[in-house]
Amino acid sequence: METFNTTRSNFTRASFEVNQTIFWQMLSDDQCEEIFMTVQELLERTGVEILNEEAREIFEKAGCWVDGTRVRIPSPLTEWAARTAPSRVTLCDRNGKRALRVETTYSYFGPGQGNSFVLDPHTGERRKPVKDDVAATAVVCDALKNIDFVLSNGYPTDVKEAAADLHVFEALVANTTKPIIQYIPSVKHAQAILDMAVAVAGSLRELQKNPFFVYLIDADGTLVHSDETLAKVIFAAKNGIPFIYHTKLVLGETAPVTPAGTLVVALADVLVGVLLSQLVRQGTPVIAGGIFTVRDEENNMLPWGAPEVSLVGTGMSNLLRYLRIPSFGFAGASDSKISDAQMGLEEAFSMLHMGLSGTNLIQGCGLLESGLTGSLVMLVIGDEIIGMIRKIIKGIEVNEERLARGVIDAVQPGGTYLGEEHTLKYFRKEFWWPTLMNRNRIKDWTEAGSKSLGQRATEKTQSILQTHQPEKLSDDVLAKLREIIEKAEAAL
Amino acid sequence: MATLEDLSKAVINGNVAKAKKLTQELVDAGVAPLDIINQGLIAGMNVVGVRFKNGEMFVPEVMVAAKAMSQGIEMVKPLIAETDMPSEGKVLLGTVKGDLHDIGKNLVGIMLESRGFTVIDIGIDKSPEDFVNAIKEHQPDIMGMSALLTTTMLHMKDTIELMKEEGLGHVKAIVGGAPISQDFADEVGADGYAPDAASAVDLCKSLLSK
Repeated sequence: METFNTTRSNFTRASFEVNQTIFWQMLSDDQCEEIFMTVQELLERTGVEILNEEAREIFEKAGCWVDGTRVRIPSPLTEWAARTAPSRVTLCDRNGKRALRVETTYSYFGPGQGNSFVLDPHTGERRKPVKDDVAATAVVCDALKNIDFVLSNGYPTDVKEAAADLHVFEALVANTTKPIIQYIPSVKHAQAILDMAVAVAGSLRELQKNPFFVYLIDADGTLVHSDETLAKVIFAAKNGIPFIYHTKLVLGETAPVTPAGTLVVALADVLVGVLLSQLVRQGTPVIAGGIFTVRDEENNMLPWGAPEVSLVGTGMSNLLRYLRIPSFGFAGASDSKISDAQMGLEEAFSMLHMGLSGTNLIQGCGLLESGLTGSLVMLVIGDEIIGMIRKIIKGIEVNEERLARGVIDAVQPGGTYLGEEHTLKYFRKEFWWPTLMNRNRIKDWTEAGSKSLGQRATEKTQSILQTHQPEKLSDDVLAKLREIIEKAEAAL
Repeated sequence: MATLEDLSKAVINGNVAKAKKLTQELVDAGVAPLDIINQGLIAGMNVVGVRFKNGEMFVPEVMVAAKAMSQGIEMVKPLIAETDMPSEGKVLLGTVKGDLHDIGKNLVGIMLESRGFTVIDIGIDKSPEDFVNAIKEHQPDIMGMSALLTTTMLHMKDTIELMKEEGLGHVKAIVGGAPISQDFADEVGADGYAPDAASAVDLCKSLLSK
């Protein structure tokens, strides 16, 4: 023990400032304030198009100026919305256990959605997704330590198209206990999914107390809010279910070419959703965010691996953090078509930045081909990347014992720390332990088949799919879910 | 009352203070010193060796466990006649000329000692002459050379050749270190090569059983 004790000082430092974690605050408070003031001016002067009648009435009653479908929002109301919206939302697992603290700068990662294709995890073939792919996504996410929540990772094409989102929800909730982010195309879908969630949670009250899913509502972009979009917001608020209000902007096309100008439009748009939800039911949990990209003029494409995606996404997260509104962002996607170096580079680069910026919920891990194709193998690699990112984000702990004064003195110059109890105590937790990255000597690596990262990740994905057993839902609940879907399919 | 099994566990867990305390209790209780070593201290270290080889334990854990074992042995040793001390064989270790690296060599020494070998460590930066003189003095069954650098590993060949010239060819020569491979070992005429410390113990055992 003599080498382990450090010489403890009898002196205590006053006002010792600690950076326990790294937080990349790209925009200063002054810059955030400047953008927020501009947003307020924009909403008051230019206003937004509100195409939902009920929403217009709510806005008018609250003091907005309504001319036809144009709604101009007085600045104090915008400020009130930002202040009133909850600063935190706790997402629970399927059993109602508190799971994700969606607040301050806690970051959580998960797959994406909206992709029209998947890479088959067994054959590598690029094909249309089916319901089993959504179930497989849930199983893989359930098994991966660093994946915190689930999304569909593909729109199933082997079920009735109008009810596809209900099948997505069923496939996800039946195959993982992790929180779900569920896209809703309409209020009817929102109602059916709510019914399904209530069947799982036991009652609406239980679900509101310990929500295990959030609605994903896509804003329409560029200061227009459609009838259906706002109907969904009103529905979520009335039922007290947390929702994400999510905008998608292309710099120079649907938003100003400058990142600052794009952030003004983005923040104005998400605050319209936030304001409406708070006017419907004060305290409605709402998470705001956006996905931003540039136009690739050479290919006439919208890239998702571009540095601007992370740059503007970080700006949006900084703004929402400034306003104390939980944030939703995008990272972990690539413009590559296959599992290659470009894929790994764009995936890691974007996830590191969104993680460092403290974005709360980060979707998009495992999307290839500019978001068109989902890959479970890429998701499995993403899990390893997140592990590395979390190691960086944790930073360096500085305290008496970790400063190791006593051990340094005991070992003496030129000595080794290998046999010290200090090393024994900390080496497992101070080091990051890879699960996919290969550090074999070349002889061992060659003997194991000279496998690339892609091959190893493919094998791990297949092994998870063959062996992982997520906690099951009861037959009774599964039957109820089937019943709700069948009823909804007949009506949709 | 302390048991030999408790002592093994203290070694496995790398609890130096507890291993010393239990050793003293067993000595005071009149347990045979050789049993304390073989069924307590070394038995624990045997488990550590197996776990290390399987990748369940790591170098820092092995080093601390070895420390617990050797401090226990130091306490019991005075109670045993030197000729009665169990030994699997005698191994002489050193780092070659021009090379100051000894972490790997030390680890091999610890692993060998913990599995019952007698280890003579002649240190770092040793010339072929130093090795040969030490072999003459200590009469080991095996001599092991360590090198970390591709420039210094070439001295291994010189040492092995000098050993043969001096009529010490009956002593088995083994080599190890990061840049060493089986091919290199064959090239310099060594009797054996092991890629890590746990394998080095197996290598020595197999060389001596031949």
